[in-house]
Amino acid sequence: MMMLEYEGKRFLASAGIPVPEGVVIGNGERSLEEARPRMPAFPLAVKAQVRSGGRGKQGGVQQVKTDDALAATVARLFDTRFGEAKPAALLVESWLPIARETYLSVAVDGRADGYVVMYSPRGGVDIEDGPPPARYPVGTPWNFRIHELRKVLEGVEADYQWREKVVALAQRLVRTASAHDCTTIEINPLVKLTDGALMAADAKVVRDEWAGFRNQEIRQYREAEKQRADPLLRDCLNMQHMYVRLDGNIGLISGGAGMTMAVMDMIADYGGHPACFLDCSPGPTSTRGYRPAFAMLDADPQVKVILVSVFGGGTQMQRVAKSMKEVMAERKSSKPVIFRLDGTNVDQVPGIFVQFGAHNHARLEDAVAEAVRLSGARL
Amino acid sequence: MSILLDRSNRVLVQGVTGQMGTFFVEDARKYGTQVVAGVSPGREGASVGDVPVFGSVRAAREATGADTAIVFVPPAAVLGAALEAIEGGCRLVVATADELPVLDTIELRAAARANGTALVGPNSPGIISPGKAKLGFMPSFCYTQGNVGVISRSGSLSYECCKRLTLAGMGQSTVIGIGGDPVKGTTAAEALELFHADMETTAVLYLGEIGGSEELFVAEYAARSGAKPVAALIVGQTAPPGKKMGHAAALIGSKAEGHQAKVALLRDAGVRVASGLAQMVDATRAALATRECAAA
Repeated sequence: MMMLEYEGKRFLASAGIPVPEGVVIGNGERSLEEARPRMPAFPLAVKAQVRSGGRGKQGGVQQVKTDDALAATVARLFDTRFGEAKPAALLVESWLPIARETYLSVAVDGRADGYVVMYSPRGGVDIEDGPPPARYPVGTPWNFRIHELRKVLEGVEADYQWREKVVALAQRLVRTASAHDCTTIEINPLVKLTDGALMAADAKVVRDEWAGFRNQEIRQYREAEKQRADPLLRDCLNMQHMYVRLDGNIGLISGGAGMTMAVMDMIADYGGHPACFLDCSPGPTSTRGYRPAFAMLDADPQVKVILVSVFGGGTQMQRVAKSMKEVMAERKSSKPVIFRLDGTNVDQVPGIFVQFGAHNHARLEDAVAEAVRLSGARL
Repeated sequence: MSILLDRSNRVLVQGVTGQMGTFFVEDARKYGTQVVAGVSPGREGASVGDVPVFGSVRAAREATGADTAIVFVPPAAVLGAALEAIEGGCRLVVATADELPVLDTIELRAAARANGTALVGPNSPGIISPGKAKLGFMPSFCYTQGNVGVISRSGSLSYECCKRLTLAGMGQSTVIGIGGDPVKGTTAAEALELFHADMETTAVLYLGEIGGSEELFVAEYAARSGAKPVAALIVGQTAPPGKKMGHAAALIGSKAEGHQAKVALLRDAGVRVASGLAQMVDATRAALATRECAAA
């Protein structure tokens, strides 16, 4: 889960990493007024707090020099959509006297068998268009060696004083990342101020959501994420379902990430459009687990037909079939539901399905074709 | 032959007294797997079916000669249990758990390498050598013994694909679930090397996804001279960028991690890439045919 910039900066500050002085304002009538006395002097930077990338290019960071401009900018940014959402908060900071912008990140990378440190002498909004950053594959966090990173940076960073600062900072970031279950800590830009000091001008911190059992902060984060969701989705998230909204009209209830994507691709191949990625396999594959998935898709006006596609190993199909029978019995919606169950104990499915007049497609292709036809798309 | 797993593996089950462990013992034995011991600290002396339960991996190994472990404990306990099996001298350790913090996997992978242990998982259904043994909870009826080595990032997709291969008359030497996480006990590159050295495997089917860099190494292998023919299916053509599709690693972070780039990369390397699930059987058949042509 990605922390917002101001949360990431508080996190970095707690690890002793310099960040700009800043004030967070929420989207309330008097919030600017209340925050105003705590703000540093003009010029100020007003920064939209959003999780989507490319904020800088979309005008999400503005310089203001007067109170009037501040008020107007705050109002405008709160009303601007970045990616999918309008910002829930703004961060107001001193406008930094920057001499140079560089890039530094520490992230989990399969190729490195652990963490990798990346550095580029040119940071900022166009980082992805430039040459790829220098890479130092660390592996396990205890493998980090100052001299190894120094050697990597000698090839790209001529300023030895700056290089030494970056190397020391990277060591601290690797330690911090591993101690707090971060999968990414990216500082872009990592700035050199006109007085030579180093500062994290932005922060993208991603925490490992599966580490909640040993990290109170991550647990609270997941909880807050659920609270932000609408109640129907929240019920699904409480069942550990994984949901990504898409723009089609075939509600896909599925099991397993790879299989769900394969079905999405097949729907598209048949001329249809999936309304969602909804992987119900991590949660209980019982009535309790599937009920909220149907409740959400039944209530979604975008969804015209529901396709249930589960191929289970540890998930036993007679249990899924019984759950479907129970869910169908209590369901009010008349949206058609197409089934394709396969896997462990699938031979018991027809006997259960016949009890509520449902048909289980043996082939995925047939189930997808039927769902696409009912969705109104032309085959 | 096959890779990592055959009839000779003597298996101990960690967390054997839990629901998953108990189900596994019955299911795996039915398939022919030699399940010789269970480990459940505090429950030593008990038995599951007729499998004796021990308090530690060491005790289980000493009493039964177990050399392979499968871990069925809650995510918070996986690191400890799997390290015990790795450092206790098991040659193969399978950790199926999803929801394992990546830092724990990083530590497990380092320990496995240091001890010369093969580690499969996490976030994987395990590994099966059809007709010989299974170590995981894949549905047995989907598989039949044969010459296609299968590597998959996704569990249920591998069941679907193997069932299709089996129905089409193409059996499998071993099917390994490398898992959907960014750091893996066994990577696609490592699994490919194992299949390359396996006499029974004549072609490899790789089941990949958007996100991550695993496919880069599949392409690298396929382009090598003397490589066995490789077929592939990459799912996630319709997945939007920047969204995590269930698996931690299934997230398009850059263009190279997108579907189009991966398919192009693999095709350039000579991999038979299926355009979708429905074309996967034909792609595998074509890969097998190139091998037969080369041999003739």
